[in-house]
Amino acid sequence: MRTKVAALVVLIIALAVVIVLISLRAYYVAVSLLIGVLLVGHRELWSLATKRRLPPFDERVRGNMGRSVRNGFIFLVLALALLMLPFSTAMVERPDTAHLLGALLVLGGAAYLLSYLFYDRAEPHLGERRLRMLKVFLAVAVVSLAVCILSVFLHNALSGLLHIEEPVFFVIAVFVAPAAFVVGLVGSVVVLILGLLRRG
Amino acid sequence: MQQNEETELRQVRTRIKEFRVRQNLTQERLAEIAGVRRETIVFLEQGKYNPSLRLAYNVARALNASIDELFVFDDEAGDR
Repeated sequence: MRTKVAALVVLIIALAVVIVLISLRAYYVAVSLLIGVLLVGHRELWSLATKRRLPPFDERVRGNMGRSVRNGFIFLVLALALLMLPFSTAMVERPDTAHLLGALLVLGGAAYLLSYLFYDRAEPHLGERRLRMLKVFLAVAVVSLAVCILSVFLHNALSGLLHIEEPVFFVIAVFVAPAAFVVGLVGSVVVLILGLLRRG
Repeated sequence: MQQNEETELRQVRTRIKEFRVRQNLTQERLAEIAGVRRETIVFLEQGKYNPSLRLAYNVARALNASIDELFVFDDEAGDR
């Protein structure tokens, strides 16, 4: 009963925010929010539509949700800090860099959200080898994201200190790290999808 | 810490699948009776999740078995 009320409250708040966003003509944000809510709550909505009740909110799901809310909050705070820091210290003047960082962080957040939603359904159907592959791909994605952000700072710092256009960290930040991130992300998604398809 | 947890998880074997098949129950049906999600049953059957006493009791009751019939610790198996 409490779960039902909580789900209903979340849905009503999300709808109210969507209406406010539409009235502010922030259509992209409204659509993104709507897609996010549908993605996160798809299982609950599907269960309500087909069985007229919410799926059980057992202790494992509760534990996973608690961990994901905590991790999501930490990720959000770090992402905001990393996006704000370059501007507050005037290390980044061109918006392109912030767009690149923002896009990587959004992709990282989306990957985290999707892995939270589908990992426990795919994991039991993945063998030891595929699980190892998944961990490697995820590690590549996380490390490359960190390397990209670090390289942006190092490139700007070295260029500012030495008064030259520093090339190594520039290449890493703009080409190598994003490419590795995409490889890690696509690899993880493919392994997760393979696990989902092997359900049965 | 994590290694300890993994070692602990490896030590638990469950006979949930054996009991479930014996009673002609699907994972979905057992999940419904025990009031959990199907994925939780999958994790329990594979010994990848350490349940609370309450959950262990609910699953055992759904399978008309006792908790110690369903959950076997490896060191316990070695003693026998």
